[in-house]
Order: sequence, then structure tokens, then C-alpha cells
Amino acid sequence: MRSYRILVCLLVCSLVQVTSSMAAEMTTKHEYMPGREKAIPHVSGDKEFSNTYQYWKDPESLKKAVDDGLMSHEMNFKDFRWMEKSMEGDMVLEEGLAYFNQENESGKSCASCHGEDGAELKGVYATFPKYNKRVNRVLTGPSQIEVCAKERLQRDDWGPDTRPNSLIAFYVASLADGATINVDTSSEPMAAAYERGRDLYFKRVGQFHYACSSCHTPPTAGNYLRGQRPTTFFGDAAQYPIYHFPYQLAGDDYSYVFTMQHQIRSCQQLSRMYQGKEGSASMTDIEVFIRASSNGYPMSIPVAEYNMNTDYLERNIDQ
Amino acid sequence: MSNKSCFQLSAINLLMRGVAIVMLLGIGFVATAAENEKPQWVPGQPYPPELLDQYPCHSYELECGQLPPPPIEKVEFNEELNGDPDRGEKIAINLRWGNCIACHKLPGHETGSGTVGPSLVDYAERSLPYSYTFQRIWDPRVVNPDAHMPVFGPNRILTKNDIVDVMTFLYATK
Ligand code: HEC
Ligand code: HEC
Ligand code: HEC
Repeated sequence: MRSYRILVCLLVCSLVQVTSSMAAEMTTKHEYMPGREKAIPHVSGDKEFSNTYQYWKDPESLKKAVDDGLMSHEMNFKDFRWMEKSMEGDMVLEEGLAYFNQENESGKSCASCHGEDGAELKGVYATFPKYNKRVNRVLTGPSQIEVCAKERLQRDDWGPDTRPNSLIAFYVASLADGATINVDTSSEPMAAAYERGRDLYFKRVGQFHYACSSCHTPPTAGNYLRGQRPTTFFGDAAQYPIYHFPYQLAGDDYSYVFTMQHQIRSCQQLSRMYQGKEGSASMTDIEVFIRASSNGYPMSIPVAEYNMNTDYLERNIDQ
Repeated sequence: MSNKSCFQLSAINLLMRGVAIVMLLGIGFVATAAENEKPQWVPGQPYPPELLDQYPCHSYELECGQLPPPPIEKVEFNEELNGDPDRGEKIAINLRWGNCIACHKLPGHETGSGTVGPSLVDYAERSLPYSYTFQRIWDPRVVNPDAHMPVFGPNRILTKNDIVDVMTFLYATK
């Protein structure tokens, strides 16, 4: 009898719940971490978040800060990031170039259209993601490579989650080494993509109910998260794709190259958020937001994941 | 609301949500059976990624992109603290369980721990009320809507017992 009553109650309740959840679907109110409105598509926007931009805005400032004895966390951990080129990374670039030159059955390769060693693609990676009018979509670097491979080389298996794609992206990005990042968000549809990406970056999701910004704005950014050193979202895109030995996403082999899409997935995995697919609309928007947050900063490729250097953990950090 | 009834309430709530989802899909028992075959998260083990779409997510296409945030849960705690401090310590330092150490220095774990939150090394000496601490850990949004701690209670990362054990560890005076 009692269980019968509970069942009826559950049914009624769940009907109410169904109707209310249908209504909710149109106007779901998400929770956001604070600070969205302060973000601007330029690396100097960091001033509004960590007040450390003056220490790492260019190589001279960084050198001075280090010479002045500033601790890494006082610089928002930016000192690790783009100073030294990676020799192992350099070797992996060769693999990327090999794919770039690899001919398909009709003897065509990326180089057939974009010049020997990609001569015609100098600097372009600094402008990605961007709107491609022909396919009517905002494309990340890896997605543009996928489009070219599929349409023009009949390679259907060079998507943004594959090894050839990531290694080519790494190579093409290296052709923009030193170029100033310039993701143009001044007009549609890029302006809207930036705003959507920003909102996703501050939206609370996953089992922990974190936003990306939970870790990538203070107090977490600039502090130690166990051994790890999360920082603000400004400037770091300048080193992506990045050589990331020995870390890989489970089950994947990118020859240790992490594109920005992989990095986003990796952080989603770390913080128990449902992982997006590389190149999907929402993941592309997040990348637009992150890369535009590096506008004005010089690309530096190939760089290795700084986390390998753990000397800092030996030092005694006071709260 | 008493502590007990609050827990009952949320359990029923969860059940209702489950039923509602099954009804929405319109495949009743089939879905329930498939549900049972899904992997379960074992605390201390990696979290099965395929279970994560039950929480809000970033996607535009999947349903989880439109899920509302977990309701804020206000809880009370008026009991004695007689949990298992050793188990509590294990939970607090385990990366795939409580992982308090990622952000806090803990008693006996002063080095190598995180510095995001305040040190909890001398937490016992500060004599903060149990009810405050319990609420902080269960759902910190009640204390601070923009809290940087996970919502351990509402999203079933830690059970009430787990939290009592962690608290017994934090409040223990050597
Ligand atoms: C048959 C000629 C052709 C081939 C082969 C080709 N592409 Fe392209 N590529 C184009 C054209 C045309 C565009 C202009 C944008 C569009 O239509 O997609 C382009 C655009 C690009 C861009 C963006 C350039 C910019 O200024 O924004 C990149 C990067 C790129 N291709 C890389 C590659 C890579 C890597 C390969 C090999 C996998 C490749 N392409 C193969 C013709 C080609
Ligand atoms: C639980 C904390 C946490 C969350 C949440 C988080 N990240 Fe990260 N993120 C990190 C850590 C830690 C690193 C690397 C620092 C290290 O390895 O020491 C990192 C690195 C990065 C990087 C590489 C550049 C850099 O700052 O070093 C990007 C880009 C990034 N995260 C984006 C995201 C995005 C996008 C999200 C949301 C989907 C996100 N993160 C969520 C902790 C987090
Ligand atoms: C992601 C970082 C993070 C994790 C993980 C975390 N905390 Fe916290 N905690 C904080 C921060 C930051 C504060 C400061 C107040 C705030 O932001 O809500 C805090 C505050 C507290 C306080 C209140 C301290 C006071 O002085 O009032 C307690 C107690 C606490 N945390 C316990 C825990 C326990 C127990 C765990 C593990 C089950 C844990 N925390 C996990 C970040 C974290």
C-alpha cells in the first residue's frame, strides 16, 4: 500500500517535473563565475585579472622581472611559457613537414597549392580561428587543415583528432613563429563567436561545477594547485600547438603535440566536464575566445610544455 | 529543516529526476536496464568520462548543454563528530576523491600541497562551528556563490559519511 502511494506520488511529481523541465529548456539559467564582462580580446586585458601584465608583456620586461627576483607565482606563472624553444619540438616539426609534403594518389600534396615547405602560409596561423566564407563556418587551424585535406586531397581521415592533422598544424603554426596574434573579432560572425566562447569559458559545468575560469582567474590562477600552476587565459595561445611530452589524452597518439583543442579537452577531463569533440561548434568558440585573448602577443613555436620544469616546487613558497 | 529530512528530500529529488528523464525519452524500462550497465564511479578511481553528460556541459548539440545548474543545497549538522579520522585523511589527500590537498595545506601535509584556499593545518584551533564547516564542504555556494570549491554534496562527489570523516580529521587535535 505504502509503496503504491509512493509510486503515484513519483508519477505525479515526475509529470510536474517533465513539464517544468520542458519550460526550463528554453530559458535555462546557467551559473557563471564572475568577471566575464571584464574580458577583452587583447593580451593586455590581463591587467583586469591578475595585475602581472607588466612583468611579461615583452621579453625585456620578463627578463627584468626575473633578474629582480620575482617568484614565478608573482608573475602569474607566465615566466615558464614562451622563452625557450624546444629541441624535441623541432624534431617533431620535421614529421609535420613530411605530412605536408606527402602526396596523395594523384600526386598532390598541401605543398602543391601552398608552396614548397608552405611558403604561402607564413604568418597565417596567427589569425586563426577565422571565418571561412566558402564553407560558411568559423574554422580553427586544424579544422581548416581538415577541410583542405578532405576537399582537395581526398583525405577523409585527417580530422582534427588525428596525428597527421596535429603534426601539420604544429608545422603550419611554426611558419608563424614571431608573428603577432591577430584574431579579428571586430565583425560578425567572429564577434558573436568570441562572446559565446567567453560565456562558455565562464559557465559552471561538470561534476565539480567549475568553470574554465574557476582555475584560470585568481585566486586559483597564480597559486599552486597541488603541483600545477594554472594561469590567466591571456597570452598562452601564442605557444599552441605545443610539444607536450609525455602527456597524452587517453588512447590517443598525437606524437605529443597538443593543439589548443586538445588542451581544452585535457582541461575538461581534468576537471570532470563532459569533453567536447575537436572542431565542434562549442569547442571552436572556446578557442576563438582563448586565442583572441592573446591578440597582440607574438607566437612562439615550437615550445615545450613548461610543466616539465619542476624546480620551483623545491622552493619554499609562503602563502 | 532537519538534517535527516534534507537528505531524504534530495534522494527523492534525484529519483524523480531519473524518472522524469526516462519518461522524457519514452523508453521506460529499456533505459533503466541500460542505465544499470553503465560503469559506476569508484571513489579513488578515474571518473568514467561517459557519465559526465549528466552534469551541465559546454556542448550546443547535446542535452547536457542545456541542463540547469545543480540546485543549491542548504544543509544542517547538529551531531557529534565521531567519524574515522584516518579514512578522512585518505579522502582529503586522494587526487580522485576529496582532493582537498590540491588547494589546501592540511594537518601533516604542509609541503607539496596547493595554495589556492586558506591553510587548514590549524583548523581545529580556530573552533569554527561544525555546521559551518559541514555546509562549506557540502555546498560552498550557500556561504559564497562564487566559491572555488567543488560542490561535493549536490553532485555526489562525497557522501555525508565521507565529509564527517574528513571533518573528524580536520578537527582532531594531536
Ligand atoms: C588544391 C589546392 C589546395 C590544397 C591541395 C590544399 N589547400 Fe589549403 N587552401 C586552398 C584554398 C583555395 C584555400 C582558401 C580557403 C578555402 O577555400 O578553404 C586554402 C586555405 C588554407 C589555409 C588557410 C590560409 C589562410 O590564409 O587563411 C591553410 C592553413 C591551409 N589551406 C592548409 C592546407 C594544408 C595543411 C593542406 C594539406 C593537408 C592544404 N591546405 C591543401 C587550397 C588548397
Ligand atoms: C581544475 C582546474 C582547471 C580547470 C577547471 C580548467 N583548467 Fe585549464 N589548466 C589547468 C592547469 C593546472 C593547467 C596547466 C598548468 C600546469 O600544467 O601546471 C591548465 C592549462 C590550460 C591551458 C594552457 C595554457 C596555460 O594556461 O597553461 C589552456 C588553454 C587551458 N588550460 C584552458 C582551459 C579551458 C578552456 C578550460 C575549460 C574547459 C579549463 N582550462 C579548465 C587547470 C584547469
Ligand atoms: C579547487 C580548490 C579547492 C578544493 C579542491 C577544496 N577547497 Fe576548500 N576552499 C577553497 C577556497 C578558495 C576557499 C576560500 C573561500 C572560498 O573561496 O570559498 C576554501 C575554504 C574552505 C574552508 C573554510 C576555511 C575558513 O577559513 O573558513 C574549509 C573548511 C574548506 N575549504 C575545506 C575543504 C575540504 C575539506 C576540501 C576537500 C573535501 C576542500 N576544502 C577542497 C578551495 C578549495
